[in-house]
Amino acid sequence: MSVTDRLPGVEISPELARVAGRRVIVFSPMIRFRLGPGDRALVAPGDSIVPGMPIAERTPDASLVDAGRLGAPVENGRVGRPGRPEKPDKNPGPASRLEPIWRESHSSLVDVASNGRRPVGADEAALLPPPIVTPPRSERRRPPMPGKWWVGGDERRDRLDRGKPAARVAGTLLYEANGRWRAAAGERHEVVESPVAGIIREARNGVEVTLQVTGAALPGAIAAGEPSRGYLDVPRLTDGDLWASALDVGRSGAVVVAGSRVSAQAISRARAMSIRGLIAGSVGQGELRDLAASESRQKASLAPSVPFGLIALDGHQRRPIATPVLALLAALAGREVAIITDPPLLVFDVSEVPLPELPPDWIRVRSGQHAGREGRWIESTGLRRFRGGIHLEGAVVRFVDETETTILPVSDLERFIF
Amino acid sequence: MISQPRAFFAIDHGSATVSAALVGHVGGRWRLIAHTSAPCGVDVEVLLSGLLSQILQTDKALLDEMAAGDGVAEIDIRAFVAGWPRLVARTTPQRRLAVLAGSRRQRRRLEACALRAGWLVSGGSADEDDAVALSRLMLSPLTNAVLLGADHSPGGDEKRHLPDLAALVNAAMRLRPELTVILAGGAATYEIAFSAAAPVAETLVVSGTPDKGPVQTKIQAVVTPFDETTGEGEDHESPESEVIASDDESGPAGSPAGEGDTAASAAEAAPAFMAAAEPQVPVSTPVTAETDSTAAHVLLAPDAEAGQPAGSALQQILEGLRAVENDSRLGIARSIASLAYVLDRPIEVVEVGLQGGLRARSEPVGQGHFAVVSSHACPADASFAPSEPSEEVVDSVLAWSTTTQDRHRLMDRLNDLRLTPWGEADGDGAVFRLAAAKAAVARLVEATPEITAYPMPDLLVAASGIFGSLPPAVVALALADIVRRPGVANLACDQARLLGPLGVIEDEAERRRLLANLADDILVPLGSLIVAAGLRHGRSAGHLRLKGPASISEIELHPGAVQVLDLPPGRAAKVDLDFKDAVRLDGRGHHFSVDVAGGLAGLLVDLRDIPLRMSERPESRRAALDAWQRGMWPEVDE
Repeated sequence: MSVTDRLPGVEISPELARVAGRRVIVFSPMIRFRLGPGDRALVAPGDSIVPGMPIAERTPDASLVDAGRLGAPVENGRVGRPGRPEKPDKNPGPASRLEPIWRESHSSLVDVASNGRRPVGADEAALLPPPIVTPPRSERRRPPMPGKWWVGGDERRDRLDRGKPAARVAGTLLYEANGRWRAAAGERHEVVESPVAGIIREARNGVEVTLQVTGAALPGAIAAGEPSRGYLDVPRLTDGDLWASALDVGRSGAVVVAGSRVSAQAISRARAMSIRGLIAGSVGQGELRDLAASESRQKASLAPSVPFGLIALDGHQRRPIATPVLALLAALAGREVAIITDPPLLVFDVSEVPLPELPPDWIRVRSGQHAGREGRWIESTGLRRFRGGIHLEGAVVRFVDETETTILPVSDLERFIF
Repeated sequence: MISQPRAFFAIDHGSATVSAALVGHVGGRWRLIAHTSAPCGVDVEVLLSGLLSQILQTDKALLDEMAAGDGVAEIDIRAFVAGWPRLVARTTPQRRLAVLAGSRRQRRRLEACALRAGWLVSGGSADEDDAVALSRLMLSPLTNAVLLGADHSPGGDEKRHLPDLAALVNAAMRLRPELTVILAGGAATYEIAFSAAAPVAETLVVSGTPDKGPVQTKIQAVVTPFDETTGEGEDHESPESEVIASDDESGPAGSPAGEGDTAASAAEAAPAFMAAAEPQVPVSTPVTAETDSTAAHVLLAPDAEAGQPAGSALQQILEGLRAVENDSRLGIARSIASLAYVLDRPIEVVEVGLQGGLRARSEPVGQGHFAVVSSHACPADASFAPSEPSEEVVDSVLAWSTTTQDRHRLMDRLNDLRLTPWGEADGDGAVFRLAAAKAAVARLVEATPEITAYPMPDLLVAASGIFGSLPPAVVALALADIVRRPGVANLACDQARLLGPLGVIEDEAERRRLLANLADDILVPLGSLIVAAGLRHGRSAGHLRLKGPASISEIELHPGAVQVLDLPPGRAAKVDLDFKDAVRLDGRGHHFSVDVAGGLAGLLVDLRDIPLRMSERPESRRAALDAWQRGMWPEVDE
């Protein structure tokens, strides 16, 4: 059995069916990269993406810029300000070099700039004519519209002051008022690379890029940081935890399984060692806040950093990683995986990984005083009085390595669904 | 002919748990037979099968009777699950509204309306934020709609910003055609810019135009004046009510031979929603966000001051835009209005869930009490576990907590409660859930000052899954702690979560008939609450004499305390209160004689301050809360 073969439906008792199910594997999930004003998509719907491919360009310090009058009527085949001849582009600036960042299959930057909202299915994509016939510059121009990529600067608008360095800004058009366009633009740009392979389903400048992942993924509860990719490292855990000192430079480029809980110290150390990501059972809100603050400081300092992602599989309070999940991660050790933050996923695009064999009555305690323990479902007890005089549906379970049974609220349990 | 089943399922798809109840026609009237709940991911068919299996094990004769009514000789649980009609309500997922205005003053007004309508709100104003920040609000994939508003006659502070704002919103709509744009008040004058610049946009007007798009139809339904006297809309009958009419005509005559009078009466009494041809299909198909996001819409709405009370007109439109048709929270509000008519008494309900809360009040008014006045609000921040809880939320949970916890740990618990809201419902978890629920109710009460301004209702109902899992006495104390007004009220809990599904029934008369049958079953009596105001601190405030049918109890009243007297469910009694000083109850006086009803918690006499005053020091506050709570919940330390 491999992750690409879906397990046949296993018959379970009606009582066990009342236990909340936890999906361990999801296939071809849809993921999202959020964009904002000033950001553009570098891909179009239907494009096939491989890991490392640029999919978007962000403008981190986008501010409001007066782009001037762009919506003038076409005169003699030219688009521009009325009465002013278009200057020949003798020396294409850096912004011009920015444009053809990536081109594959049928995508074209002109389509991207016009947001490419048209959903392209596989069949439709096959019917599209082969592109890459570069039209004349005047024909490639499209009328300005919200979201269109815009490059501007003082020298482009004949306003260059002598002795001052040329400030070149680029971003997306926001809106037009009184014939003048405003843009969200900035001098600094960052390219966003896809950490996974997949097919672009939606790409809209300033809004989002959505991508359907090729392969399978392990859903998490919380994700933080940035989408990242690296080889999966599953070190030996001590009592379900990984000591922060184990995160050394030897693990650079890895996505490390960090045990039941990850500390702020471990996060800082992992980032310093160029580790690409951490996977833990839980992470506290304080650690997440520290990570967000650290990231924003790093971005403000203009120092380039490798993407670092963090994923917690269970939640915020300490719990060990579930054994079926740990077994899956152990089987994937050494393979390339990606941490996705929206939604929280650990993506792996490999096909031949054995899934752990689990009895259908295998359950795990999700919350409560026995949180993290695993065992087998014995039977339902019906309504029962629990701690604090609370009446809840109960269940008899036998934990691993125990001979005695324990009665727990059904609502505290979870079962695994592959 | 459509046969009339003698039972139906009422299902409430909440955000945390799904609740299912079986309502059957037994002994000549509709009764609640059984109910259950499970985490929301659990298959409803499994839940219903389990429910019927339990009934089969405990009272087979009852199931036999209901099966015989259906003309079925043998009990077949699968067939019942598949065949019996379902009344389905569901919680609308949280949706976000970007509020834009020319001035901060206007933005706050608009935000208040949107918050009361249940939206998550992210707002900005042109005098405080630049166009990039405002554009970011609208272009976020999490934003579902944009509200651009101005005064009816915009002043200079906002008028000068409106052209730019309209252009900005128009541009955002061209980038995100799925956005719904609402132009409120003076901003509606820019509607032409939207229709001219966005050919795909479907411009809709709220009232007065015959062309009804999908969204407009929904809004129209919301703003249709409702005649509480007849229980019908003024315009026309709903399609479902037409089905009822035809069915009522052919029902008794067309009943199968040998079914008997009982069956005929059951057919007459059967709710109209059962006449749906496909019983498997929910009665009201929910309009999901995807359904109404296929095309751009521009809605025109009144300004943030329109309506009585101010802002209610805009709130109503925003609420209709946000909620799915069978929204359980709005269903509760409708059920409460029907119940107020049926029981002929003022009723108030508080409900807190994972996606928000509801506070509604309905009161019969006028000669003969034939009309019902209702008001409600369902703010999203009244969730017991809000997403990304703010410091204020953490503070409020800490304020109601009886255990010592540091802020980080409490925030982790609150976040985990959002991830698994059905988990850890016993022991420490129950104590924490109670604190979270009380904090949510406190936010709800704070957000609805106009309802607080009313006198104490005759009946105060707690309706949510989180209250259903707590001991009744603690729920009663929680209501006394937070919904504080001088007066006497009966307390009840909607344990089976039936108010939401019953509120989905569109025909008011049908709903009233069902509620008249089911009121006693739905509302689990918690007891009665007497809250007096204006007491002077001292050793004794006076005496209370409880005169039951068989005995008389007398206690001394202590200011600042909550005193509990045994009064079991089903018992009614008369209470004489003699205070040493003049206090406020219904009115101001020394001597009062009130009627009370029993419940699981008994009679609570609350002589604490209004509003509740506690020490600012955390330890003293926790000690006071713990002392009150321990008196009602002695098992808490088990």
